Amino acid sequence: MDTVALLLTLRLALVTTGILLVLAVPLAYWLAFTGSRAKVLVQAVCALPIVLPPTVLGFYLLVALGPRTAFGRILTHFLGHPLAFSFAGLVVGSVIYSLPFAVQPLTAGFAAVDRSMLDAATTLGSGRWDRMRRVVLPLSRGSLLTASVLSFAHTIGEFGVVLMIGGNLPGATRTLSIALYDQVQDFQYAQANRTALFLLAICLVALMLLYSLRTESRPRSADLV
Amino acid sequence: MFSPLRRMLLVSALLLPAMLMPAQTKTLRIAAAADLQPVLPTLVHNFEKSSGAKVEVSYASSATLATQILNGAPYDLFLAANLAFPQKVVAANLAEESAPVTYAQGSLVLWAHHGLFHHGLTMQSLTSPTVHRIAVANPVHAPYGAAAMAAIQSLGLKPALQPKLVFAENIAQAAQFGQSGNADCALISKTLAITKTMQQAGRFVAVPVSTYSLILQGAVVLRNASDKQPAIDFLRYLQSPAGRNLLATGGLVPPAQ
Repeated sequence: MDTVALLLTLRLALVTTGILLVLAVPLAYWLAFTGSRAKVLVQAVCALPIVLPPTVLGFYLLVALGPRTAFGRILTHFLGHPLAFSFAGLVVGSVIYSLPFAVQPLTAGFAAVDRSMLDAATTLGSGRWDRMRRVVLPLSRGSLLTASVLSFAHTIGEFGVVLMIGGNLPGATRTLSIALYDQVQDFQYAQANRTALFLLAICLVALMLLYSLRTESRPRSADLV
Repeated sequence: MFSPLRRMLLVSALLLPAMLMPAQTKTLRIAAAADLQPVLPTLVHNFEKSSGAKVEVSYASSATLATQILNGAPYDLFLAANLAFPQKVVAANLAEESAPVTYAQGSLVLWAHHGLFHHGLTMQSLTSPTVHRIAVANPVHAPYGAAAMAAIQSLGLKPALQPKLVFAENIAQAAQFGQSGNADCALISKTLAITKTMQQAGRFVAVPVSTYSLILQGAVVLRNASDKQPAIDFLRYLQSPAGRNLLATGGLVPPAQ
């Protein structure tokens, strides 16, 4: 078991999930409660990474954000190095790639919150942030967990983007899925099998966790906790 | 529920893929190493005209193709960038020949962005602090990558260059990393370096041949080929004077006997 690749993959998944929760909560909140006409477009854009081949994302990160474009040069200057071949580049790619897996459960969860709870909170003097923090989020704990677990598991399995912009650097961009690919190419089938089984196990455990907690925390609108 | 018009449209939409499939002509399926990408299309075009066969080429690193072939991929001819990968195919009893046929000899070059070095470009130039990233094909998958690492190693540059290396999936991706500006320099095949895109983006210099073992590119006709004759004919064409000339214009010289 390639422990360097394993730790890197876990680190990437954790960092990506953390960033996604910070980005996705306000975005999902807006999507759940807005009446704006832009909602449809925003939802479609957020869902794009599900249907787009990961190589499209990799292509844009490599070329459109590469040092030859103006935007890429600004980014390089800001980061100190080009986006490609860096952990930061992988994080950017993973955040975009796993975005729908965070936004969609959160949007559904927020939208399912009983409006009368929110109305009651408003009449008691609660502002928008207060309502989000003390009413919506606690009632959507299940969705928060779903979003976290799905983003985490989805990032663990990322391959196409990493293949296109990673550069296969051990400790920085050589994730477990890339290591598996290398092992297969190198005809090391026993090792490849171990890596593959491990990846399979992580994903299975993640999904089982998700489903076991889902049945426990079915939202009951009478509870305020 | 569906009006007759809608029903007809739905049915034709479902049948469209089948309708678009051409009549089954003899198709020669070639698995070709990524370094052949600039030069093979011309050879294929000439061969199609003269033989009437249809040719489909899949480009990837030699390792990828060997893996696929060993797992039953339906190719007819395997054109690799070294002898070891076709040798694996021979060892697995999947080749017609008892040993790979050497069809060309490749050479490794060092490519750098225009404006990066105003004075001479050599392997030693890579140690300069202005070089941040050097793209190399993965030495396990790609013979040119292995040659590049061998050259770096034999010149004693490995400690200095190791932190700057990035590994591409195959030689074409290494060139692409360089051309897109993500890598400052790349160690690639001469075939790729002399293409218009690469010449526009940078310049190259040959890596001293004493620093890496000869890149002998081998080919095998596959035993499971649906029709072996076009594959045998194409391989023969590659080794003919006309074929050799075309390969030579692409930087692939006849193997040193």
